[in-house]
Amino acid sequence: MKHLFLPLILVILLVLESTATALIPEQWLLADIQPIPHWMLLFTILIAIFYDQDHTMYSLLYAIIFGFLFDFTYTDVLGVYMFTYGLTLFMILGLKKLLHPNFVVTLLLSLVGMCFADHLIYLMYFMVGYADVTWTTYLQERLLPTILTNSLFLLIVYPIFRQRLEKWADEQFST
Amino acid sequence: MWSFLRKRALIIILISIILLVSLIGFSIRDRDEVSLPEELLKDTIGWVQNIFQVPIDFVGGFFEDINELTTTFEQNEILKSRLSEYKDLLYDVKALEKENEELRVLLDKKDSDVLESYNLIDATVNGRSPEPKWMQQLSINKGKQHGVHANMAVITANGMIGKVKTAYQFTSDVQLLSGFDRNNRISALVQSDGDDKKQKDTFGLIEGYDEEKESLILTIQSSEHKISEGQLVVSSGMGGVFPKGLVIGEIESVEMDSYGLTKIAYVKSAADLYDINHVMVVDRNMNSPESDDTEEEES
Repeated sequence: MKHLFLPLILVILLVLESTATALIPEQWLLADIQPIPHWMLLFTILIAIFYDQDHTMYSLLYAIIFGFLFDFTYTDVLGVYMFTYGLTLFMILGLKKLLHPNFVVTLLLSLVGMCFADHLIYLMYFMVGYADVTWTTYLQERLLPTILTNSLFLLIVYPIFRQRLEKWADEQFST
Repeated sequence: MWSFLRKRALIIILISIILLVSLIGFSIRDRDEVSLPEELLKDTIGWVQNIFQVPIDFVGGFFEDINELTTTFEQNEILKSRLSEYKDLLYDVKALEKENEELRVLLDKKDSDVLESYNLIDATVNGRSPEPKWMQQLSINKGKQHGVHANMAVITANGMIGKVKTAYQFTSDVQLLSGFDRNNRISALVQSDGDDKKQKDTFGLIEGYDEEKESLILTIQSSEHKISEGQLVVSSGMGGVFPKGLVIGEIESVEMDSYGLTKIAYVKSAADLYDINHVMVVDRNMNSPESDDTEEEES
């Protein structure tokens, strides 16, 4: 039963991302500031750091599945988020083996992950023709607010889930 | 650090890139029919979204109610003074409606022959895409089972907000006006000012959305009519899908295009495209060209 918690939390995040978008102040959107919630990505990064053992890749699996669900639910183009989240998590899984799991490392890896993922999304939407902005405006209007708001989310989620993820991992992998 | 870039990993990445390109290619083309697994998945997600929407709406509604309570008294005063006017108006409208109906019976016109007539399907917004600028998309909680079909217009109380892009069984996706491009034009008309009876309505096409000006682009072929700021733009019903008379917006500014042949007017949409909770899907009574191939042309 316990291993259903992670997908359940991710489903909730999937739905809440759109709710959060509805709560973005209208003035921001009119001023072209668009913070994108990458909550599922951040949570899968937490899973990668605190839940996954050296030989497991649950976070990668979840990232691919829920990236696809995001594409499917909210956008016209399938595959962009799926590929981006998958590749990002693959990178994070490689990087985390070199570092100790603590808060600073989590923050660092999340920042790197978000930066990488959002750039990849921008690049792909740019090539397909949905994102018609230059790189500098993209940095100002999208990347910066995205990283700031998502770091806030990480600050809230980290203390709640760190212990729990480690506990669940113990229960899952010790038997 | 480079250990994860082994040969096997590289092959996997390459295969996934190929997969990605084919997926994008598959999803980006215009599809009218959606497959069964897609419908199932979409409706399941819509159902989950619906469950979450209820408490969120409740909390949001509560705060809104408190806000409104503070202004209720002043509103009440104004409304009371307006009430008597409305009574007169209501009588006038009733009389006109009756007269209109009688005249229509005289002309032997059915309800489905009138461009203006339509039915409304109420719907609630399930969620907006978290890509608020690049994907102008909403999902609503009514689908084919409730009579929603692709390409129907979607309005709020203030005016038009978009059209149904894909209809699933129990949910559907709505494309907002701000996401319109040359592929989904709307036939529109600029209503003449009431005081000059000789002036006719001017026809035009909504051809897209200007990101910088945050307004719709309306191109007008004829140059005879003068168009000024503040004139109302409504759908003309000539496009074959939307009924006539849906409010789109007001004209903000008018320019000549670079060749000097057509006029370009920028139209500010009447409905708020960012704060949408309840919408209505417009099902027009007159048959759309796609569906009336069985009907015979009458000259």
